[in-house]
Amino acid sequence: MKTILVVDDELGSAEVLSLILEEEGYQAFCAVNGQLALVQARDVVPDLVIVDYMMPLMNGAEFARALRADPQFAHTKIILNSGLPELAIRDQFEGYDAFLRKPFKVETLLTLVRQFIGR
Amino acid sequence: MTASTNDSVIPIERLRSAVPGLDQILGGGLFRTGVYIIQGLPGCGKTILANQICYGHVAEGGAALYVTLLAESHSRMIQHLSTLTFFDVHAFPDKLAYISAFHDLESGGLKGLMGVLRREMRTRKVGVLVLDGLVAASEGASDLDLKKFVHELQSIAALQDCTVLLLTSGNIHRMAAEHTMVDGLIEVEDKLFDARSERSIQIRKFRGAGPLRGKHSMRIDNDGISVFPRIESVYRSAASETMRDEVTTSGIASLDALLAVKGIPMASSTVVIGSTGTGKTTMGLQFLHASTAEEPGLHLSFFEGPDRLRTKARSLGLGIEALEASGAVELMWQSPGEALLDEIADRLLAAVARRNVRRLVIDGLSGFLESAVYQERLNRFFSCLVNELRSRRVTVLMTLETRDVVSSVVAMPWGVSGIVDNLFFLRFVHDEGQVERLLTIIKMRDTDYRAGLRRIHIDAQGMHIAGTYRADGDVIPSAQPVASPEGPAPSPST
Repeated sequence: MKTILVVDDELGSAEVLSLILEEEGYQAFCAVNGQLALVQARDVVPDLVIVDYMMPLMNGAEFARALRADPQFAHTKIILNSGLPELAIRDQFEGYDAFLRKPFKVETLLTLVRQFIGR
Repeated sequence: MTASTNDSVIPIERLRSAVPGLDQILGGGLFRTGVYIIQGLPGCGKTILANQICYGHVAEGGAALYVTLLAESHSRMIQHLSTLTFFDVHAFPDKLAYISAFHDLESGGLKGLMGVLRREMRTRKVGVLVLDGLVAASEGASDLDLKKFVHELQSIAALQDCTVLLLTSGNIHRMAAEHTMVDGLIEVEDKLFDARSERSIQIRKFRGAGPLRGKHSMRIDNDGISVFPRIESVYRSAASETMRDEVTTSGIASLDALLAVKGIPMASSTVVIGSTGTGKTTMGLQFLHASTAEEPGLHLSFFEGPDRLRTKARSLGLGIEALEASGAVELMWQSPGEALLDEIADRLLAAVARRNVRRLVIDGLSGFLESAVYQERLNRFFSCLVNELRSRRVTVLMTLETRDVVSSVVAMPWGVSGIVDNLFFLRFVHDEGQVERLLTIIKMRDTDYRAGLRRIHIDAQGMHIAGTYRADGDVIPSAQPVASPEGPAPSPST
């Protein structure tokens, strides 16, 4: 089963997203900030990460940079999302595979997930 | 020998809010490093107010952080804010960020929440921090815990040079433990008056300075929040005298001739009262037409727009456009619909100050009356407005419409009688199959005048006094002013 890590400080959003992903047949985990997400990523080794940009402690760009720096995650797919437009944060980190502007439709996300890691 | 420490006291700097009018009621702005509660029921404007302060601080080169607990999602908040003119996407991510600390509150209580706030304040070096959802933070916490939380927040805010805003929708009439600890308590309200609602803001507590007390009107539009201080709280100087020795023309030479000083005392207020069609607007336009570069004029109208006024002036032989072009006259229109009383006054006084206006026509005092949600306030409002105009040496002519088309009764609405220096009454009378317009000078403060009924004519050369009207029997009943149902009659002329 493919594994997905959902990182969002708005815990309600992360939990709802995880439930939807599980209904779609994925194994989903949640984290509420970049630091906790790094710990969890090393634990569950996700195939894909869906990460919010603005978070306490370590934001989404810092997390993604740290994740990419670890060779075991060099090819892990990253979907960055934010309520901000992409151009406002692109220069913080460019190594993501897709960007979603919040609020997004769940079908848009699921299409990307399927495209990146299949079912 | 011990040195005096008096000279070493450093005054606390103020934080400019970027909310028009707010700093004025705060006496200069929030104190930097203060911790303030912004309180009000959902929908009253707390979130916009706090965000506007954040964006204002960012625009001045600072950084801000908006922390939510259980509030609307960040993406939805950004979507809503993006429609407002103060929203600046370039503030992200370095100068402004939205984060949630609910997880830390849920897992670590107030201590966990404090940990996040302390850490984020330090790492992001923010000058403004908003914590949205104090109700969520206070649930389950004791009064002592809350007081300790606020106290610790005050200590950190001082060390980090950060001003903290705590947003809560808690009961505004309940004295909460945290109220005793914070540096200020700002209350926002959205209240219904019949079918119309009006927002207000009140500074209930403000350590270190005396704010303008009481409720002040507040508007939310595309520019965010604007506060309009109650003019009675802003202009509190003693009533100014009219300039008895200086006189200006009414704009109608034959009317000036009826007055002992051959004109209207400068800086006085004149009310022209009459039913529709009697010539009130015409008299106002003639008064305006006497404006010059030295005596600039302003025309505030609630009902007739600038184009209609220009057309009307042309039909009277008054070249208002030329005066507008030269800068001697400005026509200002105000929708009478949903305007706030203090907003109109603010706009009017700003226009007077901008061009150093000396002659002012307010065509349709009922525009003010319709904007008042507290009718009992009108007396104080008008006397303050007129007194301020008088202190700025503005001679004012105001028109007021009576309801009865053919009547000799002068009914003064409550609030207007107290502001009148001079009172002119225009009316129609039926006389042997003819309809005539009459003018009666009912009152001139401190100056004499020729009493009696005067015929007036309005033609392509404007308004003229066309002789004395002699009443036969009961054609013209008493022209004495009487009290309207809403208030007393004006004092007798002197």
